Amino acid sequence: MKRILTLTIIAAIFSACGNDADDTDTTAPQIADAGEQTCPTDCYECFRGETIEFCYTFTDDTELGSFNIEIHNNFDHHTHSTSSVECEMDGKKTAVNAWIYNQDFSIPSGQTTYTPHITIDIPTDIDTGDYHFMIRLTDKAGWQQLKAMAIKVVSEEG
Amino acid sequence: MLTYLMAAVALAIPDTVINLDAVTVSGTSQHSYMLKSSQSSVQVSNDYINSHFSGSLMQTLEKIPGVKAMSIGSGQSKPAIRGLGFNRMVVAEDGIKHEGQQWGDDHGLEIDQFSVDRVEVLKGPGALLYGSDAIGGVINLYTNHIPTSIFGGTVQMVGRSLNDQLGVSTKIGGRHNAFFYRAHITINNYADSRVPTDSIQYYSYYIKLHDGRLRNTAGHERDGSLMLGYAGYNFHTDVRFSDTYVKSGFFANAHGLEVRLSGIDYDHSARDIDLPYQWVNHFKVQSHSMLTLADDVSLNVNIAYQRNVREEHSEPVSHGYMPTPQGSLERRFDKDTYTAALSLSIPTERLGQISMGANAEHQHNKRDGWGFIIPEFRSTSAGVYLHGRWPLAWREGNVNAGVRFDHSHTHIMSYNDWYRTPTANGDSAYTQRSADQTRRFNSLTWSVGVSRAAGHWVLKANVGKSFRTPIPKELGADGINYHIFRYEKGNSALSAERSYQIDASIIWSNDIVSMQIDPFFNYFPNYIYLSPTADYTEGLQLYRYMQSRVVRYGCEGQLTCQIGSHWEAELMGEYLYAEQMSGDKKGYTLPFSTPWSASGEVRRFWGADNSAEIILGAHLVGKQGRIVPPEKTTDGHMTLNASVSKRFNLGKHISLKATLHADNLLNECYYDHTSYYRLIDVPEAGRNFSASIKLTIDD
Repeated sequence: MKRILTLTIIAAIFSACGNDADDTDTTAPQIADAGEQTCPTDCYECFRGETIEFCYTFTDDTELGSFNIEIHNNFDHHTHSTSSVECEMDGKKTAVNAWIYNQDFSIPSGQTTYTPHITIDIPTDIDTGDYHFMIRLTDKAGWQQLKAMAIKVVSEEG
Repeated sequence: MLTYLMAAVALAIPDTVINLDAVTVSGTSQHSYMLKSSQSSVQVSNDYINSHFSGSLMQTLEKIPGVKAMSIGSGQSKPAIRGLGFNRMVVAEDGIKHEGQQWGDDHGLEIDQFSVDRVEVLKGPGALLYGSDAIGGVINLYTNHIPTSIFGGTVQMVGRSLNDQLGVSTKIGGRHNAFFYRAHITINNYADSRVPTDSIQYYSYYIKLHDGRLRNTAGHERDGSLMLGYAGYNFHTDVRFSDTYVKSGFFANAHGLEVRLSGIDYDHSARDIDLPYQWVNHFKVQSHSMLTLADDVSLNVNIAYQRNVREEHSEPVSHGYMPTPQGSLERRFDKDTYTAALSLSIPTERLGQISMGANAEHQHNKRDGWGFIIPEFRSTSAGVYLHGRWPLAWREGNVNAGVRFDHSHTHIMSYNDWYRTPTANGDSAYTQRSADQTRRFNSLTWSVGVSRAAGHWVLKANVGKSFRTPIPKELGADGINYHIFRYEKGNSALSAERSYQIDASIIWSNDIVSMQIDPFFNYFPNYIYLSPTADYTEGLQLYRYMQSRVVRYGCEGQLTCQIGSHWEAELMGEYLYAEQMSGDKKGYTLPFSTPWSASGEVRRFWGADNSAEIILGAHLVGKQGRIVPPEKTTDGHMTLNASVSKRFNLGKHISLKATLHADNLLNECYYDHTSYYRLIDVPEAGRNFSASIKLTIDD
């Protein structure tokens, strides 16, 4: 009898487990193309002194958080982008005055879709060459999505 | 709680604690032993460690329900008890808290597993004896077995196919009258680890592996120790020096969580260690003395000094406003720890067994390197405790209760970047990453328990409070963690973490069957949690230390069946649930939540004295669907394991034991939810074999 009781207790304890019906957000936000306006894309070339018209669409099933855009040089060929596209790269070189762009942006609260239009000025005195363009996006719960692209800055003369 | 007493006794007379049969991981037919403690504790003998040897000690201990080895890459792992790891459990060596870099998620234990004679795992709060951190439990490694003959020794060789590991360990020891000595040396060398896949995908980064190996995860290890002692009738004293050195590479394609390409030709050798790598050296001197006075009153004194130095090297790269640094030294930690403990045990007629004690610890941690993660600090803590055990008047059993008070003082030094960052006014400055601050913490902890035997039953119940002093990283971090590529911000207002736990053990056994259930319920009013926020700081996602209410509960179960004298079968299972009840992540679980698991094992013995053994086992792990950012859900899996061992008597005093162990026989490709590399989709080891040959000479 005692044994049966014990086994019942064991069964009860183990069956009490395993209900993971949460109403918590468990999905990351998405960085989607914004149709024809999508910019920049992989292997994008831009000129010093001109601008990059940033355009992507962010979506989340619950609520978007914030995003960051960061541009750093890839003169040492340190990583690849998150897409399968291979862009033609210049040779390795040492940075003299590499472009550093690193800006955090907020998204108005309560949004599940957001398409920011941001104009990024490309300085005239920076090193030309291969750069990485990184988009980082969070949702309210703290999930993050990344998108990295290889872009190239060329001199004004083209 | 009486496990503390038990542990105190173990400290006092290292050789007198009952070693369980090699075949039983936990549970014992020794009622009196079980009744001494109202907490669930598991004794693991050296024989058990040998016959279940699977690469690392923690992986071997993982077979105990409720114990988990969190894989941190490079073939190393860190322990967790009932889902609590890092600074929420204690690893002690001969009763002294091991002070490594236990806060970090990418370094191992820094203890030589071959030096361990036996292990005691205490599930549940151990605050009364160990003070801060002993929330989840205590893994006590004993290396202080006193030799019984004039000379004895072992030579053990191990090999492992997973990473072409080759290790040799030699131990010698002897006793001349009351004087004794012990010494050991271990060397261990391994190549890059194999995984059952040819590529790894992370976000959409696609990393192709060479020969199915994780690039640059090779390493080597050199350890040694010397112990000298005197074991008289009323007086025992010993001193032990030990040194552990490990150098190992980090997986080159994702140092931490950043995917990188490098100009280094990693693939030309699987055995070399290129950047990024780490080395760690842990030096320890510890001394233990016990004096038995009249009326069985005993006095124990433990003192120890530990120096833990660790360096991480990686290719210098610029990031944000940090220019390319000079040299490869990313981080260096140099931590000195001084420990002293005094305890007095008094058996009394009227008041039962009374024990009291005091301990003190001082730490100084220095840092160096171009990467900042934890500030330099000094901390001092001291605690006093009193506990007693009284036999039940009308039944076989004991009641115990104890109380402890701790005070600690932490001084964190300020730290400024070594490079300038542009400021809002157009100027630039050396940004401060950690402010000079001093914090004091007081904690009162207690525990009450009962253990009772009735017929085939043993019942234990325990309720207790434990605590953890916030570590300097939690109080003072303010910078980029390059390993995980996130911005971590400490919180200087954190209070000492408190934990309340109620647990029980229900044991039923006869000559054939033994059954044990260990349920627990645990509540934290202020669990310290590094919460990923929706914000960015300096281009990286901001993680902030917060405190939230957390509820955890679960249970472990075990059923062992002895069929005749040659067969044995065992079933084990564990389940854990955790939920954050307040704060940012209300409703979410805690990171690295262990999924449910169950395992079965059949053992067959034969030959003279059952000298040969074959073990077949299956391990089933459930899906973990309850996750918290940035985790991924992890599917369940099943693995099959086997091992065979035989002892040969080569002479009157010489014996040889050969063991062959196989893990993951079906070569299943699966992920471990609690692995550090889970986030970058690195699978666990495929089919692999370990072999060990141990020669024992005993005079």
